[in-house]
Amino acid sequence: MLYRVIEASELPALVSAFMESYEVVAPVKRGAVYRFEAVSSFDEIELDYDRTVASPKKYFLPPDETLMTFDARSNEVTDFAAEITPRVIFGAHACDINALNRLDVVFKDGRYPDPYYVARREATLIVGISCMPTDTCFCHLWGSDEARFGYDLFLQDIGGKYLVSISSVDAANILEAACSPREATDAERIEFRHATRRRQAAFNPDIPNIQEVAMLMDAFHGDPFWDELGGRCLSCTACSAVCPTCFCFDIRDTLDPDGETGRRERVWDACTAPQFAQVAGGHNFRSTGAVRVRHRMYHKLNGFLATHDRMLCVGCGRCVIACKANINPIEVLKFFERKGAADAD
Amino acid sequence: MPISCAVSTVRVHPFHEPPERRTGAQLMAANPYRPWPARITSITDLTAYEKLFEFRLIDDRIREAFHHEPGQFVELSIFGVGEAPISISSSPTKRGFIELCVRRAGRFTEALHKLQCGDIVGIRGPFGRGFPVDSMKGHDILLVAGGLGIAPLRSLINNIHDERSEFGKVTIIYGSRSPSEVMFRSQFEMWKHRKDFELHLTVDHPDPTWDGEVGVVTVPFSGLEIDPGNTFGAVCGPPVMYRFVIDEMRKKGIEYDHIYCSFERHMKCGMGKCGHCQIGHQYVCIDGPVFNYWEAKNIQGSM
Repeated sequence: MLYRVIEASELPALVSAFMESYEVVAPVKRGAVYRFEAVSSFDEIELDYDRTVASPKKYFLPPDETLMTFDARSNEVTDFAAEITPRVIFGAHACDINALNRLDVVFKDGRYPDPYYVARREATLIVGISCMPTDTCFCHLWGSDEARFGYDLFLQDIGGKYLVSISSVDAANILEAACSPREATDAERIEFRHATRRRQAAFNPDIPNIQEVAMLMDAFHGDPFWDELGGRCLSCTACSAVCPTCFCFDIRDTLDPDGETGRRERVWDACTAPQFAQVAGGHNFRSTGAVRVRHRMYHKLNGFLATHDRMLCVGCGRCVIACKANINPIEVLKFFERKGAADAD
Repeated sequence: MPISCAVSTVRVHPFHEPPERRTGAQLMAANPYRPWPARITSITDLTAYEKLFEFRLIDDRIREAFHHEPGQFVELSIFGVGEAPISISSSPTKRGFIELCVRRAGRFTEALHKLQCGDIVGIRGPFGRGFPVDSMKGHDILLVAGGLGIAPLRSLINNIHDERSEFGKVTIIYGSRSPSEVMFRSQFEMWKHRKDFELHLTVDHPDPTWDGEVGVVTVPFSGLEIDPGNTFGAVCGPPVMYRFVIDEMRKKGIEYDHIYCSFERHMKCGMGKCGHCQIGHQYVCIDGPVFNYWEAKNIQGSM
């Protein structure tokens, strides 16, 4: 990886340079929370943010997107074109970049690459930025506190300047044109190491570090804990809406008012929605909240790992905030922690 | 005016080349969400609730590129109503046509049942992993179907029929609730007299016309002569049936990984993405729908 150093005072020029060819999406403050939104000047951007309510996944998998338009009379497709905006996501945290890398595993797979996702991903540059953990962050448990790939630039704050990892030609050209990137000094390299150590030391120690969680998910699959945890689920699906790695969707047809033409749409769906696993005739393979919540946690903390060698949870902590019933991976980790303590007695 | 307004949204076509320059396989891969027009060429009433539809893909290139194996499924489209995964009932040995056996069970299948010969639908696929027909060759086969489970198994049964000399002893057990719900009854009635198929048709609730066996699909097992080391089992039916049938097959000594079962889920995309068909860590649409019993045992929540 190529590294250069730029001054913090050069960031406005960098953002302006991106704006010449891209829509720039960045964290902005809205009331008490932060959101990713399109911005028109550097001043709107809040780079020192804790977390956005939702992740930037909406720019790759829109909540509602048209896959094709059709004529229902002839039963034929009339158009496939997708609207793609060349875009820069400026200021993504490492967890969100790691989440995007997981979406890539599913949507840029070798067998059935998803043309809509791929077109958006290829039209988007990612500029990451380092961060400090909040009380609900546990990205470090799954190694997601550092983005090793999946971005074009990554800005590591080293106090008034940034150590920039440069991984794409497009971003390198813009960086070169807008700023004066220079070689890092030894002192700056050491400062990067200090910054990383400060982050690693700042995680909430009350969140149990249970690395064998995947195996425990299998071992405790039948535990009454799931009835208790899942029994609280309100089926609101907020967890999957804010989750940066939840990608489940439904495909549905919407007719225009004339009843003759319409759109086939892909819309977000969630495995915690009651009808998610229902089949024709009415049989529901996951008919209770307990089974649905267990399935969701299982897929996050075990299932995806079994097939793709990485967790589907990046520890961003958004579900910890979003779930009104306090159902989240931290509760699962705490359960395993309690089990361990009980066994030791 | 903010600078970002200078950025225009571009329309990206999932096809980068003119379609006429592409092969059927390339066309299908370019946008795997695209249903291809197919004409209904035949409709046969099977029971009061089930019909057998025969389709022919209209585009020659797509039709020639369409190859399936028994146990695979397609996504069937009626624009304006939606899409549904349906297992293929015809044998791969029948080229150029696709048969789907469909029960009227919901909004989509209601709409399908109203269509007539000559009407156009959309088809994409085939998807999923089917029965390991090549590995099954040279072995005895025990097929057990319950109710609509005959739909995917018929593809395998007809494949075996068309390549009969490639297989050893073939035993078929097909259970229905009542005689009026037996599908493909005339085909099976004719096969009763064949020496190369051992056929057990059984119903839970017989009527006075019924001269076949009575009871659930596990009843005929007591009289079966099985060579366990040389037999493949194939099971498809309602969820409750699997455990009982697999228990019987295990009692006969058939190996864990020689028992194959086809699972039903609502696959919305067919490509390992939408999540609707997940069981544990597996996707029924790409890892299945056909799993051997060893694999199934290792999926949390499969049975």
